[in-house]
Amino acid sequence: MTLTRRDYLKAQAAATAAAAANISLPAQAAPPGVGGDPTIKWSKAPCRFCGTGCGVMVGVKDNRVVATHGDMQHETNRGLNCVKGYFLSKIMYGADRLTTPLMRMRDGRFHKDGEFQPVSWDQAFDEMARQWKKTLKEKGPTAVGMFGSGQWTIWEGYAASKLMRAGFRSNNLDPNARHCMASAAVTFIRTFGSDEPMGCYDDMEQTDIFVLWGSNMAEMHPVLWTRVTDRRLTNPNSRIFVLSTYEHRSSDLADVSLVFKPNTDLAILNYIANYIVSNGLARKDFIDKHINIRRANTDIGYGLRPDHTLEQRASHANDAQVSNPSNWDEYVNFLKTYTLDYTAELTGVPKERLEALAKAYADPKLKVMSFWTMGFNQHVRGVWANHLVYNIHFLTGKISEPGNSPFSLTGQPSACGTAREVGTFAHRLPADMQVTNAEHRKITEKIWKLPDGLLPDKPGFHAVQQDRMLKDGKLNCYWIQVNNNLQTAPNTAQETYPGYRNPANFVVVSDAYPTITAMAADLILPAAMWVEKEGAYGNAERRTHFWHQLVDAPGQARSDLWQLMEFSKRFTTDEVWPAEILDKNPEYKGKTLFDVLYANKQVNKYPLSDIEAGFQSAESKAFGFYVQKGLFEEYAEFGRGHGHDLAYFDVYHQTRGLTWPVVNNKETKWRYREGYDPYVQPGTGYQFYGNKDNKANLVFAPYEPPAESPDQEFDLWLVTGRVLEHWHSGSMTMRVPELYRAFPGAVVFMHPDDAAARGLRRGSEVRVVSRRGEIRSRIETRGRNRMPRGVVFVPFFDASQPINKVTLDATDPISKQSDFKKCAVKVVPSQVAAAGEGRQ
Amino acid sequence: MARELHISSLVVHARPEAADAIRPAMAGLPGIEIHGEANGKFILTLETESEQTIVSHLNTISLLDGVLAATLVFHHVEDLTEAE
Repeated sequence: MTLTRRDYLKAQAAATAAAAANISLPAQAAPPGVGGDPTIKWSKAPCRFCGTGCGVMVGVKDNRVVATHGDMQHETNRGLNCVKGYFLSKIMYGADRLTTPLMRMRDGRFHKDGEFQPVSWDQAFDEMARQWKKTLKEKGPTAVGMFGSGQWTIWEGYAASKLMRAGFRSNNLDPNARHCMASAAVTFIRTFGSDEPMGCYDDMEQTDIFVLWGSNMAEMHPVLWTRVTDRRLTNPNSRIFVLSTYEHRSSDLADVSLVFKPNTDLAILNYIANYIVSNGLARKDFIDKHINIRRANTDIGYGLRPDHTLEQRASHANDAQVSNPSNWDEYVNFLKTYTLDYTAELTGVPKERLEALAKAYADPKLKVMSFWTMGFNQHVRGVWANHLVYNIHFLTGKISEPGNSPFSLTGQPSACGTAREVGTFAHRLPADMQVTNAEHRKITEKIWKLPDGLLPDKPGFHAVQQDRMLKDGKLNCYWIQVNNNLQTAPNTAQETYPGYRNPANFVVVSDAYPTITAMAADLILPAAMWVEKEGAYGNAERRTHFWHQLVDAPGQARSDLWQLMEFSKRFTTDEVWPAEILDKNPEYKGKTLFDVLYANKQVNKYPLSDIEAGFQSAESKAFGFYVQKGLFEEYAEFGRGHGHDLAYFDVYHQTRGLTWPVVNNKETKWRYREGYDPYVQPGTGYQFYGNKDNKANLVFAPYEPPAESPDQEFDLWLVTGRVLEHWHSGSMTMRVPELYRAFPGAVVFMHPDDAAARGLRRGSEVRVVSRRGEIRSRIETRGRNRMPRGVVFVPFFDASQPINKVTLDATDPISKQSDFKKCAVKVVPSQVAAAGEGRQ
Repeated sequence: MARELHISSLVVHARPEAADAIRPAMAGLPGIEIHGEANGKFILTLETESEQTIVSHLNTISLLDGVLAATLVFHHVEDLTEAE
């Protein structure tokens, strides 16, 4: 390579970075532009990983993704990329990519204890349909279920919801997002009557104070963290507070780090409210005009199995979700418990740090943005924690305007767009509607052009309940798509794995790679991923963004969408719908589920010629109509005119996404605020129009202890979570050699004194043991996470160290989201096991 | 064996008061060039023979005292076996 070309490329690299960072460089730098192979075709797509929703440019050559870089035109990341996004081009090309259906076989036919053998799609679907029909006939719709994902594209989640609810008449449909942000989603509905944040990422450039509640943005949302960092370094009023049960990379930027004892964040939240109220700093005018005050039921249990002592003892385990009308005086009185002294003592946080945080929230001159992720949501009182942070924003009126923003971050690329907006939870329908609401079911039946009374009215099994029901033999046909639940569910050795291998059950896993979940299944279906299909995701700031299919999937791999729709052809309405419904509506008799769900003259109304020139869609080609457009346009009908307006399908292929509601082709950046949100009437100031009275709910609740705390034998808190280099269970990132080598195996992060007290050192081999199970790992006393005494952290990306054998399946009793952040363990040298206890 | 040259660029955010200590620490890494700097933000290019080295440099820089964020922006790979 000539020196001039090298210099040219470097100058271009520097200029691109400078533009992304908003820095001007000396004049000789070349402008950003196309700097390489002219035979590479570049197209836009959102990143495949977290909920940030960065835009990337994807370079394709010879039907293969050869390069990616940050999209300069995408508002979210403005050209930046994190290390995972940087290696996106490699996630599809792992050596062990699944390319053919695999079924457990013996003597030429399916056998639960057989070996995996390649089969055709026909054989695979024949066996699946046989199992589904048998179960539906013998046990009815509650015995079939599906576990989906916040990584489903919008139309995949929508097609799945139709197939499960309307086709099989079962609400046993839940996404892995249940483990991830159900507490946030449920609280949005309870508080605002409408899911998802009121603000947007632009709040970061407008705010003064950043407060991170149980969020390590530096590692988990690195591109957003870059924007936070930029603001902190350029705005003299800016300060950052980081609340966590240990210190991590985000703490490095913190002006104030608050390390609290697990679960006591509830007390800190109430202390801040108490500080605001008792110092006369509450915006009583705002509360009176826009807020209803409610008191939560307390002593609500821990979402364990009903026969567990903790559930038996709890007075409101069965009506945990209920809150009661209350008033200002009752609330003020309730807050009096949370004095500075009491809170400092309970939480272990120094008083001056608590007070500094309370003052920052209370100061009317400062704008505040609160961020939270798993520390808040994976919490046995996650719904309460979410409520309590909104309460602070209500008390100060710091909400729904640029820079004042309580903001729930998400972990998956379409946790919002698919799991929440499409409504793939066991209790939800599209556009915030609920399966228990007769009116909502009627609206849904009408849009779907289906008979009255078809949709089931009881919530289905949520994620943790699905595992329990599989184990108990009550859920027998189970389809898992786009997730690795055996690695990520809580208490897997006791509650998840037994259900997958229960001889009464038939478990199907659609995935791109042989994850441990796939290997525990009976049938594995090879899935197309990311730009091997046309897709749409919705990120954490309500931004819906699209991409085109850019390459073909390998071998026999097919998208989840194709799998769902093709499978629906194997059932007729007569086989799965009740006779009385068909007798009343004879025009539906003898039709396949494909006919009534997808070939309904709505979904199939757009021709293949509508596909943008230069692109293709494998599913559309297979079914003979533009599948993605038809599904999206039918789905969009749910929200248009109801505060969830989505733009027309084609618009999204031409933009870098739009934040809904999109009214008159204009996106909405801040909801509920006059002047920003077209749904808010002039003269009102604010309207929380998700609720009929246009008011939001302030729901107050106390500190309650966690389900399990350390004791003499199990003497440490275990916190689980993620690391920068790997995404969730690592099924994609562990297959990128550069990322694998950067963080090849999980470790136990531990305080050096805790290690010394156990005769351990950095690198020592240990067992991490709870009442439920154990793993082997190594001690790490340095590096990115700095643990306080008594707390250890283990990431969950490593399939060879499945830490969820150790965790507890306690959930928030309201959101049913599991608490992966606190249970009791002991850490012992592994050689003791060999010599002594010897139990595996 | 295929020989490659990787050219990439990074934006590094650091505490402004730590910039004087961070500058030589970054400049000392092989293949790194600092192209610009303002208010604690650095623009760097990396010239490496593998992507692995990009990742290890990125980790080294992230863990320097005072560095708050290090983010990749641009990447280009040249196949040197073809070029020669």
